[in-house]
Amino acid sequence: MAKSLMIVDDSATMRKIVIRTVRMSGLEFGTTEEAGNGKEALDKLQNTPMDIVLCDINMPEMSGLEFVKAARKLDCCKNTKIIMVSTESSEELIKSVMADGANGYITKPFTPEKFQEKLTPFMN
Amino acid sequence: MLEQITLNEVLIDAAREVFETMIFMDIETHGQECPQVSGQTITSSIHFASKQDSDLNINGKSMLGSITFTGTLEGCLSIRVGKDCAERIAKNMLGMEPDQELSLNETCDAIGEVANMVMGSIKTRIQDIYTDIQVSIPSVITGCEMRNTLGENASKVVAGAWLDEQEAIEFTFLYREAAK
Repeated sequence: MAKSLMIVDDSATMRKIVIRTVRMSGLEFGTTEEAGNGKEALDKLQNTPMDIVLCDINMPEMSGLEFVKAARKLDCCKNTKIIMVSTESSEELIKSVMADGANGYITKPFTPEKFQEKLTPFMN
Repeated sequence: MLEQITLNEVLIDAAREVFETMIFMDIETHGQECPQVSGQTITSSIHFASKQDSDLNINGKSMLGSITFTGTLEGCLSIRVGKDCAERIAKNMLGMEPDQELSLNETCDAIGEVANMVMGSIKTRIQDIYTDIQVSIPSVITGCEMRNTLGENASKVVAGAWLDEQEAIEFTFLYREAAK
């Protein structure tokens, strides 16, 4: 069964770019949802759980870091793979968000090859 | 403290990385071999201005995308482009055809993201020296003859670039070391 994907980013342009880059990577998803911040993503995930979430960090309302912590407390997200996609690249931050429950980290600017490398382990 | 000449290189390298990877615009530097990005469609090229043509003339309505940062180094990174140039950049980012319609919101959003990604790339390159930089959410304004300032004790690095040798792009990095 095809996997489902959610893109969480406050920039609609960046959400489109992420969708386009995922498509360019050759990975195929059954459904793709979008959310403009962590809070909106949590609301949507409680109604429709997703397999993979690609999540920005620096967002208004609820940041990606707050989202990961909140999502890991919800039953609907216990099997969801959360990959952070951000311009933030400090080793300390990456370690911290992985410890909070993220499953991977992609830095912007990114390439289709990077998405393929990071998402393929979660596609089966 | 970072030397301005080093920061100028950091700014150009960061802009180059973002334009080649995310906007699919090839970047050239005068007198240097232009690296190709494999597997991507290069539809335009920009080159960084030499000192002789560094006085970029961005006439008419333009966009200024800015992102501020705080920490031991504080300041603002900006990208300033003419309206037509902004639309070309946004369409390239979104994979749109030149004749497709683009809203002002979409264009502003795209220019804000360029500022965000260039700042992210700069941060990555200087984080060994400045470990605590926090960046804001980008903002974009439209107008004419726009400039950013940072008050006293600020330094400024400007890198100019030309898109297809016609339209100018100006990157400005305003910074100062925070008071201890």
